[in-house]
Order: sequence, then C-alpha cells, then structure tokens
Amino acid sequence: MHTSTADNKPLIELVKVSKVYPPDVLALEDVSLQVLRGEILFLTGMSGAGKTTLLKLICSIETPTKGLIEVAGRDLSKIKPAGIQLMRQKIGVAYQDFKLINKLTVMQNIAMAMEVTYKSKGEIKKRIMELLDTLKLTDKVNKPAGELSRGEQQRVALARAAANSPTLLLADEPTGNLDPAATDLVVKLFKQLNESGSTIVIATHDEKIYEETDYRVMDLHYGHISTHTGKNKPRQIDLFESHRA
Amino acid sequence: MQYLAYILRQTARNLRLAWGTQLMTLLTVTLSVLIFAFFFLIYTNMMKAGERLGDDVRIIVYLDDEIVPQMRPQIERKIREFSEVEKIVFISRQNAFEKLGKQLAEEKDVLNDLGPYFLPPSIEIYPLKTLKNLTHINQFSEYLQTLPGVSKVQYGREWLKRFGYFTSLLRLVVLLSGGLLIMSMTFIVSYTIRLTVVSRHEELEILRLLGASSAYIRMPLLLEGLLQGLLGSTLGLGALFILYQWICRRFSGPGLLHLFDFTFFAPEIIAAILFAGILLCTAGSLFSIRRFIRI
Ligand SMILES: Nc1ncnc2c1ncn2[C@@H]1O[C@H](COP(=O)(O)OP(=O)(O)OP(=O)(O)O)[C@@H](O)[C@H]1O
Ligand SMILES: [Mg+2]
Repeated sequence: MHTSTADNKPLIELVKVSKVYPPDVLALEDVSLQVLRGEILFLTGMSGAGKTTLLKLICSIETPTKGLIEVAGRDLSKIKPAGIQLMRQKIGVAYQDFKLINKLTVMQNIAMAMEVTYKSKGEIKKRIMELLDTLKLTDKVNKPAGELSRGEQQRVALARAAANSPTLLLADEPTGNLDPAATDLVVKLFKQLNESGSTIVIATHDEKIYEETDYRVMDLHYGHISTHTGKNKPRQIDLFESHRA
Repeated sequence: MQYLAYILRQTARNLRLAWGTQLMTLLTVTLSVLIFAFFFLIYTNMMKAGERLGDDVRIIVYLDDEIVPQMRPQIERKIREFSEVEKIVFISRQNAFEKLGKQLAEEKDVLNDLGPYFLPPSIEIYPLKTLKNLTHINQFSEYLQTLPGVSKVQYGREWLKRFGYFTSLLRLVVLLSGGLLIMSMTFIVSYTIRLTVVSRHEELEILRLLGASSAYIRMPLLLEGLLQGLLGSTLGLGALFILYQWICRRFSGPGLLHLFDFTFFAPEIIAAILFAGILLCTAGSLFSIRRFIRI
C-alpha cells in the first residue's frame, strides 16, 4: 500500500477546520493538520480541548462548521452517505466511551465490525482470538461486555477498532483506564498494526505512551493547535524503540 | 454469500428475540387474511352462481302496439342507452301467436277462433350475465317502463331481487374486510418492525458507526416483514381451506350448497392473495424502516 503514488499525499488533511456545537460551543477553531500514511500521531490537550471532536470529524460522525477535511484525497463533504459507510469500514475507531453493547459477548461485539465487511465466520473467529491473545483477554471471550471492568471494556473497544486491520485507526483515550501492564499490551498492538500499514491517531492524556517516542505530538488548547513536536517520521522508522539508535 | 448468510442469521435473531410480539403479529396477519379470504370465497362463489342463474333471466316488455320494423333500431338504441345487453328480440303478435301454438301442440285448436290479435306484441331483452347487471335489473325494468308504448314489464322472480341485494351486501363486506386486511397488515407489521428497531436501536447505531451499508442494516428488517406476510397469508389460506373442506363435508348432499356448487379459489387467486399479503407486510416494514432508520 505504501508504495502507491497516493502514498505521497497525506492520508488526512484538515484545512482551517472549525467546529461549533450548537448553539455556541466553539470546540475547534481554524485547525489545519496533515497526517501522512503510515504515521502515528498523538493528539494531546486538556479535557475539553477538542480532541474527541477532531477524531469525530475525521470519521465523519460530526461535520465541520467551516473548513475542508480530506481523507485519502477525498473531500468528506462530497462523499455520499453510502460512500461514508464504505470509508468507515476502513477506519477503526476506539471510542472514548467504548460504544460496546453490554448484553452481547466480547466475541459478538468485536465480530460486528467484521461482519459488516462480510468476512467469513472462520476468519472472524481466528482474528478475534488473535487480538484477544495480544490484549490478554482470551478468558473473557464469551462474557457479556457489560460484565467486564472498565479496563477490559477499553481493550475490547480497541480490539474491535483493530479487527479489520484498518487503514486508519483512531483511538480516543485508549489507555485511560489501564494499568501499566495493560498499557504495554495496547502499545504493542499499536506497534503491530502500524507495522502492517495502519496509520494511527491517538488522542490521549497519558504522557507515558508518547513521552519517549519521536512521533509527532500535537497539543490542542481550547480548539487551537498550540504546540507541535516530533519529527513527522514515517512508519518505517520504529519510534517505540527509537532511543536504541 | 456472506451477505446472505448474515441477513438470514440476523433475521432469525430478530424473530427469536421478540418471539412473543412476532407471534402476535403473525396471528393478526393470519386472521386478517382468513377473514378477507373467507368473504371473498363466498363472494366469488355467489358470482359464479349468479352467472348460471342469469342464463334464464330475461326481461319481457309488453307493448301497446305493434312496432314497425323501421322503428326497431331506434328502440334498441333507447334500451342500450341504459345498459349494454346481450340480445334484444322483437316479438310481433304473429310470432307470439305461433309460439303459443307450438307450446300448446295438440290442443292448439283452441286458438283457431281467437286469431293472433289477443296477444300483445313484446320485446324480450336478455341482459349481460354479469352480476352487476343482474343486481341492477330492478332499475333497468323501471327504466323500460318509462319508454313510450310500454304497457308492462316483467322479469325474473322475487328471489332474483333478493339475490341482488345479498350480493351487493356481500360485496360491501368483501371491500370492508379487504380494507381491514390492508390496514391491519401494514399497521401491525410496521408497528412490529418499529419495536424491533427500537429494541435494537443501540446496535443499529453502532452498526452505522462501524460502516454497515444501508442494505446490511435494512435487509433483515425488510425480510422480517416479508416473512410475516408470506407465513401469515399461507396460514390464513390454509385455515380457510380447512374450513372450506369442513363446510363441504358438513353440507354435502342435496341442498343449498348444490345450487351454488361451492368451489375453492383458483390457483391464480391463491397466488394473488399470497402476493398481496407479502406486498402489504413488506410495505409495512418499509414504512417503519424509512421512518425510523436514518442510514
Ligand atoms: N455533542 C456536543 N454538543 C455540544 N458540545 C459539545 C459536544 N461534544 C463536545 N462538546 C464540547 O466541545 C468541546 C470539546 O469537546 P471534546 O469532547 O472534543 O473534548 P476532549 O478534548 O475530547 O475532552 P476530553 O479529554 O475530556 O475527552 C467541549 O467544550 C465540549 O463541552
Ligand atoms: Mg474526548
């Protein structure tokens, strides 16, 4: 995938995007941003800074009040509803509030994401077991999601987002409820996905997962980009272990 | 293939999860079809009976005076102005006299002294043998009575009039039960689908976020309505068939039923009722889907 010509264009491009929630909550103002293919980008900022809003705009759950958003070179405002659905199949989103169905089991919750893309039953099962193994949740596979701890639910939400090996993974506060050990598992999953080609945007307060990396970190402050650190490295350079060099 | 498998699995799940409601819906659909089809069956049988009875229905218009042949087309036109008829036969005094002579055969000598002038000339009108015409025969004869030169109009028997009333009433009942069928089916199915949509609201919303296509979300619901229609109509018609056989056995032998030669629906009609049932229920679910699902 990363050898195609589209590779040179950013996967996500925002140009002067503003979002006002009715009646007058200004969540984002004039945000411009590019995310390259294969990149991992950290979005930080205090509570209410607009991180979740930014992610929702990218997967078209919310529409911008002003400005242009392009994903894979296509202007989101010009894609028809059916096209948006197709696009969402290629974007995995781990929501801050998980959006799991409590009465369905872990397996069923994750399977929903793959059934939507018409994967076969066998393939679905295999992939889910693989993911749960990575996240150390294998013993919870047949438990209703509602009976899991917050930290477990968070990992299930992440597994669902990762299930289709998405082109783009949006993770909203993915380690908010996790202890250091579980956080490491999640970071490992991100690394795996990124290595197999996924572009990842992570909104987080958790300094631990980005402080020692060279990935770009973008700090949002009251709807504006305030600082911009990191070296905008493509994924070929593995930055979770970059201090080795 | 995966798509089909999913749709079927999901439909089965919807049916299973709310089986109580689903059963009530099925029952309503079945009863609606049964009630409508029952009256419709009686109606079609009455129609057939009417056609056979119509064979010897004619209206005889007795005239004051003989009609000259040149006048006939004008009178025919006047008659046909009210209603299309099958046949109009003019009977002159002479014709009538000869006919009577034939009927009397051996004893026709009694007519010798009378000569043809004691019989009035007449027009025999054979109405079209449709039920509509037969039930309107009363008005028709009243109209004929108003034509100039008519002395008396005679037709059928009293029961023909009653038959006419009865079939009109039955037609009304068929129409009413048909309306009931349409309303109850579309309403109850759309209501059930709405319940499914509401109970699965959270799930449908998440499916939307996961990128499910509109067909993926809607097809199981549409199929649910379609299945209700198919199953309900089949059961309704099946129940009617059992009822029909019971009636046939119960009232076999000489009697009222033989007059009517009670028969079940032709295959085309069965297919039409099934089709209508499926169509109505699918329409009902479509209504709810369009109303309550955004994607
Ligand atoms: N649906 C909404 N309707 C109205 N206002 C909203 C809505 N969603 C978010 N907001 C407001 O927009 C601003 C940005 O919210 P957002 O959820 O993007 O922040 P955040 O950076 O994700 O915060 P947190 O770190 O707490 O998750 C906040 O002031 C919030 O109150
Ligand atoms: Mg947030």
